[in-house]
Amino acid sequence: MSSGTEHEERFRRVYAADFGPLLAYALRRVAQPEDAADVVAETFLVAWRRRRDLPADGEARLWLYGVARRVLANHHRGGVRRQRLGERLRQRITAVIGGDPGSEVPERLAIRAALTRLGELDREVLLLTVWEGLEPREAAEVLRVSPAAVRTRLSRARARLRELVGDDLGRPGHVLDVVTAPAPKEGR
Amino acid sequence: MTEEHLDRMVRDADPYRPDVIGRLEGAKQALLEEIMSEPTLDRVAEAPQPRSRARRGLVRRLAGPLTAAAALVGLIAVSTMFGAPPGDRQAAPGGTSAGPTAGPATSVVYSPVALKAAEQNPRLLIDEPGWRVITVYGFAEKQGTIAFGKGGRQFDMNWYPADQYDGYHADRRHVSAPEAVKVDGWDGDLFRYSSDDFAVMLRPRDGVFVELRAGGGNRTEFDRTLTHVVRVDVRTWLAALPPEIVTPARVEERATVVLADIPLPPDFDKAALAGLGTNDAYQFGAQVTSRIGCAWIAEWQRAKRAGDDAALRRAADALRSSHNWKVLHQMKDEGDWPEVFWETADKVVAGDVPRGYDQALGCG
Repeated sequence: MSSGTEHEERFRRVYAADFGPLLAYALRRVAQPEDAADVVAETFLVAWRRRRDLPADGEARLWLYGVARRVLANHHRGGVRRQRLGERLRQRITAVIGGDPGSEVPERLAIRAALTRLGELDREVLLLTVWEGLEPREAAEVLRVSPAAVRTRLSRARARLRELVGDDLGRPGHVLDVVTAPAPKEGR
Repeated sequence: MTEEHLDRMVRDADPYRPDVIGRLEGAKQALLEEIMSEPTLDRVAEAPQPRSRARRGLVRRLAGPLTAAAALVGLIAVSTMFGAPPGDRQAAPGGTSAGPTAGPATSVVYSPVALKAAEQNPRLLIDEPGWRVITVYGFAEKQGTIAFGKGGRQFDMNWYPADQYDGYHADRRHVSAPEAVKVDGWDGDLFRYSSDDFAVMLRPRDGVFVELRAGGGNRTEFDRTLTHVVRVDVRTWLAALPPEIVTPARVEERATVVLADIPLPPDFDKAALAGLGTNDAYQFGAQVTSRIGCAWIAEWQRAKRAGDDAALRRAADALRSSHNWKVLHQMKDEGDWPEVFWETADKVVAGDVPRGYDQALGCG
């Protein structure tokens, strides 16, 4: 078996194992669910092109999260949906999820609104920990910062979120801003 | 508010719903295929891989590590048996066409299933001596592949549901600017991957669109081959398939041979194999053993959960016996399917159902 074939097989294995987590990651971080298709497609396309660099099975997921994070940054910067890949996935996601935040319960909206008000790194640390279920050392790998920084950020993020939601639960306020995409920030 | 409470609230605010993944209806595999069809630098840096396109299709349904599965060039030395088709259009016999099975197509009785399956694909042939059908699969759906070989050249025809045309076309426009061409009078766009790698996307017709692709020859050769691509009627097309190809009419006979030494899982529905469409022997073997392997693993898991030791033993014995299944040994030299199958079966028998086994074996 040629090494090229081995790389292809590894890519397939990684795709099979990590598609779900990547889709979840993307869906959690885009304004419109169908945009997640672009993020997933783009992320795996990068992985395909760099399949020789793919970390060993089992470790690829963190690497993919890191790629997806950069893809997302470009996605938000560009503000346009790319129509390159994943058209079918986009259609399915739209069909399955739709996009009506009005059906969400106020508490969730309040938490999400509060999350958008955290600093970007703080929010990512918290979400990678709670939503993606990563250990601090794993989140550190995705974010390319030290594990110590992640622990500090995590503690700060929780404190800040607690402040933000505090006694306000049930009065979500700006529900229209309920997006999980990074909020624009000063100096950015 | 405790840390735990806070985390729980954040978790509850998670916009992701795990059931999404189960409702994608093949979009996951479609994307994989799209991505793996993307040209990368490797295509230039490595020796030409004329099989790569046909290989992609297999991924669609048997998503495991089957990369070498379709590496059949030269291994299935079949002749395209063009008989005397009843239609006006007569596909020319291949240069090597001969043999006792070559006869007038009109003498063959095709089952309604075979005819229907053949109706659902584009039925394009290369009407030029020397081209042989070397790979066929996927005809049960509006997606499939037929690959022709001649000398060292290969010409693939892949087709997809018409509603995916726009998506594919948009993608191919990133490959190169489209160039209008006609194939058997039908409009299409030619895209250029490299100086010796071209593809033509034909406009959708009858619910599918076809992408023709050939590597390893120059543009003049590609254009010339395109002029020989013709659309034929159902009977002509079926008659053009060599006897090694398992058409729906041949499924029962071939299935009996394949299943002869395979222990069947509980409730295994042999009749359902008729729905596999038209496949070459390798693909047919993979499809059949996929269903059997998946069913036995499911049974193993059920028995394990239920604490049904006798059933657990039966399932383990069946999976273990796969090392002796004749069909897998016949497939061994042609691709990696048997290896993947055995590896998965061995792990299950050892008590460890490997993660992603359903993808590897195409369960679903």
